[in-house]
Amino acid sequence: MIAAVMYREYLIRTTSMVWAFYDLFMPLTYLLLFGIGLDRAFASGVQSGGQILGYNSFFLGGVLAMAGFGIAINTAYGFFVDRENGMLYEFLTYPMTRGEFLVGKILFNSSLALVQAAITVGLGALLLGIPLRWERAGFLLPGVVLGAAGWFFFLTTFALRIRRNDMFNTFINVAYFLLMFGSSLFYPLEGLPLWLRSISRANPLTWHADVLRYLTIGLGRTDTILAESAAFILFTFLSFLAAVRTLQRGVVK
Amino acid sequence: MTPAGFAIEIQDLVKIYKVKSPHPVRALDGLSLAVKQGEIFGLLGENGAGKTTLLRILTTLLHPTSGRAILMGLDVERRAYDVRKKICAVLQENAVEVFLSVEDNLMTYGRFHSIPRHEIAQRADRAIEQFGLGEFRKQKVMDLSGGLKRRVQVAKVFMVDKPVVFLDEATTGMDPINKRGTLEAIREQARQGRTILLTTHILEEAEELCDTIAIIDRGSVVAQGDPDRIKSLGSAIVEIHVIYESIHEGALGELTQLPLVKLERRNLTLDLRVNAKQISPFDVLQKVGQVGPVISFEVSSGSLEDAFIELLGKRKARTGGAP
Repeated sequence: MIAAVMYREYLIRTTSMVWAFYDLFMPLTYLLLFGIGLDRAFASGVQSGGQILGYNSFFLGGVLAMAGFGIAINTAYGFFVDRENGMLYEFLTYPMTRGEFLVGKILFNSSLALVQAAITVGLGALLLGIPLRWERAGFLLPGVVLGAAGWFFFLTTFALRIRRNDMFNTFINVAYFLLMFGSSLFYPLEGLPLWLRSISRANPLTWHADVLRYLTIGLGRTDTILAESAAFILFTFLSFLAAVRTLQRGVVK
Repeated sequence: MTPAGFAIEIQDLVKIYKVKSPHPVRALDGLSLAVKQGEIFGLLGENGAGKTTLLRILTTLLHPTSGRAILMGLDVERRAYDVRKKICAVLQENAVEVFLSVEDNLMTYGRFHSIPRHEIAQRADRAIEQFGLGEFRKQKVMDLSGGLKRRVQVAKVFMVDKPVVFLDEATTGMDPINKRGTLEAIREQARQGRTILLTTHILEEAEELCDTIAIIDRGSVVAQGDPDRIKSLGSAIVEIHVIYESIHEGALGELTQLPLVKLERRNLTLDLRVNAKQISPFDVLQKVGQVGPVISFEVSSGSLEDAFIELLGKRKARTGGAP
């Protein structure tokens, strides 16, 4: 049944090449424009974890986390399209569990995230000379998939409970802003004021970005990264349970 | 199947929306009914009577507040996943994948319902032909009219072999030819042993199609039985249609003095509606015979619509609601 959901997601996605292009190349474009700009602005580099790094190197993990978050938003937004088309209720009468429905939806989109990550990391290293830890590249796969899944499950609860499209857009705009700038996506946390550093440390987007940064350029202490990975897995699991419960009880009013 | 031989058995089902609010809405109020396997069961009622709520509970979309619903021997609330393996549904909304072609809509539906891969295309072809969608098969559904979208939606459920089919106003928006085809397809499915539970606002459709009808109002069953029984329960209306060779105006004048619900003349034809509780139809027939030499005449009971209006009107009068 998960395969049927993935097949359906594939069909929907491939009906618009603009969507596919945006999903696959957006992070690389971000890295090339925003990353290069800040790399020049901080010519002396960025200090983090006792190392001095080029901004592009630091930013790569952040871009990957942001891209996974973006895919999760697009996938969660699909619930609104399905609701408008009447398909959401119909899906819930199909012979599958609510969990299978959610997993199928995100599995296809996670595979998109993987291709996106491969393009971003590969071309980022080639065009910007980012020094990669290739020996850790294999771990990127679960890192990217879990990241997209965690955020998708988290956003699903809101997408299903917020019934108005415009309200959800506002929610996403606020969440996007707070989660991205209150995290280690764009800058190291060491130099931040205590209040912002504390908020950012508790932000799952920081955990996700730190893990991806560790896997791509090797930045971070292994014990911290393991703790952040465990916290993100817990976040994903709890978000999954909340999303399933919402699908079971909170969709049809 | 339930031990009693019913495909669906509902006991004292209650659904209250906004339970915690000061104004809770009691959509189902102790509703009980049973649907036999292989029958076409029509659920009739005004807007807001509770039909859609009942269908949503039976299709596992909603949880009841209390009561029990059993479908093919399975408790709908406790074994929702197993129940979903036994059903397919056309819900009120136009549930179609608007970004996909007609063909892809059917193909994905087949996959979701575990039809073997080698059979999906074959069944999709059959459904496309049966519902006259051949010329649109490669078109995206977003480019189709409302009626065609509905056809795609209905065509999907006829691809699969689930024992229970729910059709919520399935023919809404269809043209008469396709409506006729859809009704025939529904009958064919019932002949194959599938149980069909449908709702409709088109009462002629229900009368023509259904083995059993339940009229529900404010969340409970007002009347249940085969269409003839429902008509007899609710309506004392008798319709008389007469064609004369010639009409004697004096006798016609006497006829008009009777307390008839309706008397309509078109040349040499008379249409009368008699309320049997006000005057005996036999007395009326005697006067009808005096109007002139009769070429043909037909006497029929009132329509299901008459019964529907009368049953709900009576209930509203009893409970103080507007008729």
